[in-house]
Amino acid sequence: MSDLTTALVFWPAGVLMLVTALYVFITSSMARAGLLLLAALALEGLLFLALASEFLGVLMLLMMSAEMVIMVFFMVMFMPDPGGLMGMDMVHDKRRSAGAAVVVGLLLAVVAVLTDWPAQVLPPDAPDVRAIGFEVMGRSMFSFLFAGMAILFTMVGGIMVAKQGGRYGVQAPAGEVR
Amino acid sequence: MSDLTPVAILALAAVGAVAVACLETLVAGLRPAPIGATRQALAGLREPISHPRTYDSWLFHLAPGLLLVAALSALAMVPWAPGFRGIELETGAILFPAALAYVTPAVFMAGWGGGSPLAVIGGFRFIALMLGYAMPIAMVATAVAAPVGSLRPAAIVDLQGTTVPMALAQPYSLALWVPAVMAVALLPPFDVATARGELGGGAFERYTGLEAALIALARRVLLLAVAGMTAALFLSGWHGPWLPDWLWMAVKTAAVATLMLYAGRRMPRLEIERLLTLAWKVAVPGAIAAIVLAGGTTLLFYV
Amino acid sequence: MISLPVVLVFAAVLFGIGLYGVLGQTNAVMVIMGVELMLGAAMLNVVGFLRFAAQDSTSGAFFVLILLTLMALEAAIGFGLVISTFRNRRTAEVDDLTDLSG
Repeated sequence: MSDLTTALVFWPAGVLMLVTALYVFITSSMARAGLLLLAALALEGLLFLALASEFLGVLMLLMMSAEMVIMVFFMVMFMPDPGGLMGMDMVHDKRRSAGAAVVVGLLLAVVAVLTDWPAQVLPPDAPDVRAIGFEVMGRSMFSFLFAGMAILFTMVGGIMVAKQGGRYGVQAPAGEVR
Repeated sequence: MSDLTPVAILALAAVGAVAVACLETLVAGLRPAPIGATRQALAGLREPISHPRTYDSWLFHLAPGLLLVAALSALAMVPWAPGFRGIELETGAILFPAALAYVTPAVFMAGWGGGSPLAVIGGFRFIALMLGYAMPIAMVATAVAAPVGSLRPAAIVDLQGTTVPMALAQPYSLALWVPAVMAVALLPPFDVATARGELGGGAFERYTGLEAALIALARRVLLLAVAGMTAALFLSGWHGPWLPDWLWMAVKTAAVATLMLYAGRRMPRLEIERLLTLAWKVAVPGAIAAIVLAGGTTLLFYV
Repeated sequence: MISLPVVLVFAAVLFGIGLYGVLGQTNAVMVIMGVELMLGAAMLNVVGFLRFAAQDSTSGAFFVLILLTLMALEAAIGFGLVISTFRNRRTAEVDDLTDLSG
């Protein structure tokens, strides 16, 4: 991408990402919170695309849509006021958590700005999909195997945790669907 | 990719939507009227934005836009001819499922924003359905890209030109792909979101005026994109004996679209429980098996 | 002028917002959303370093893949726990889960 297109994508997407991420915790409607989080992470995927990581950006866009609608699903299931009609304030320790968040964010930002990063002015030549594929299947196969096993254990473990009655199950009364 | 490609894609979307509308009329057994359909589409686009009493007006009014953006992005990934390959990206075969994945939030926003109970049910049922069917789309796209060694759709078409079409090389992939993309494109017998006769108007119940026209346009563009990608990935795209490239692609796309619409008219709608069972017990393991089999056949035949 | 400190500052602000969610929100699902934002900020950091400091690093891209997997896994287990908690105690608020405190 040319410099102008990159800047045109990066700055609006970046600022909008931060705004939507903040609104996730301000809004009182649960469906809006989930969809605002989708917007924030999808904009982050756009940022990846602007930073010349094409494959990672596309993966981010692909995965976030499915994950965030799952999250909306769960929020409507478990939140006391999913429609946001009562305008509940669901924050505890508002000042302290906001203070901690601001302090940590400022600390990281100050470290980022004041550090003397090595000046490399190389043209963006991010690894293409083939190179990532060879890396995953070759040198990083060990980590990839562990990630695969972690996914399997999470699938089984998540269902075990969420199942009624745990591992041994609970006999449902006649006619009731568990 | 030249600078005119986005304009060309928009023009293709407009013309293709009218063509799909005529195909729908044809499959219904009536006489297609392209001029009438065009006039009706243009009249629909001139209507005002209505402001019904909605549950969440922000989501309600954003949903048609998101649906249209998702449909156009999916259409932009389809390669139509060697000279007109859409927006060609190195990861086109993954960006296509990513664009289709944004149909899910759009339909949910339409249902939830509208607020009538049947609309909300339609929206949630669509999420439940698409959680199961979004994965086979991406996994089958990967399986089809395995012999090619590239995720560019045009490269997949080119490989099919020199060897057999993917429908013959990986029939299991085609069997998993077609129901999944029909579910995304809101086509019967997988249309749990807009179940005519069961859910009233379904997820799009509360829309009138300009936004209803935009949703109708987006649905037809979705069908065009899905049929075009099926023809490109599985039926060897523009390769064929006598006709020019773009004409072969048009014929194959029209054939796939007609078959999908015909299947919708012929088969009864399956219940959501059965569809979810099929998705999670058959489609997702089948897609994983398809990737493994695709790898095997690649090593045996393509290397 | 997009440079490494710019990207890192964006990621730092996103991390702070996620931390506000994790510390401040009472509902467990919102806490999970905060963690997603924090992991997103970490990914943005890595992609920034990939772009400006280590162009041809495939292991950096693989690290982002692992982080993406972790986002999904953590959300999955988190939702399983929320379901289980809700089933047993009819509440998903972290303020009501005080059995181990004091």
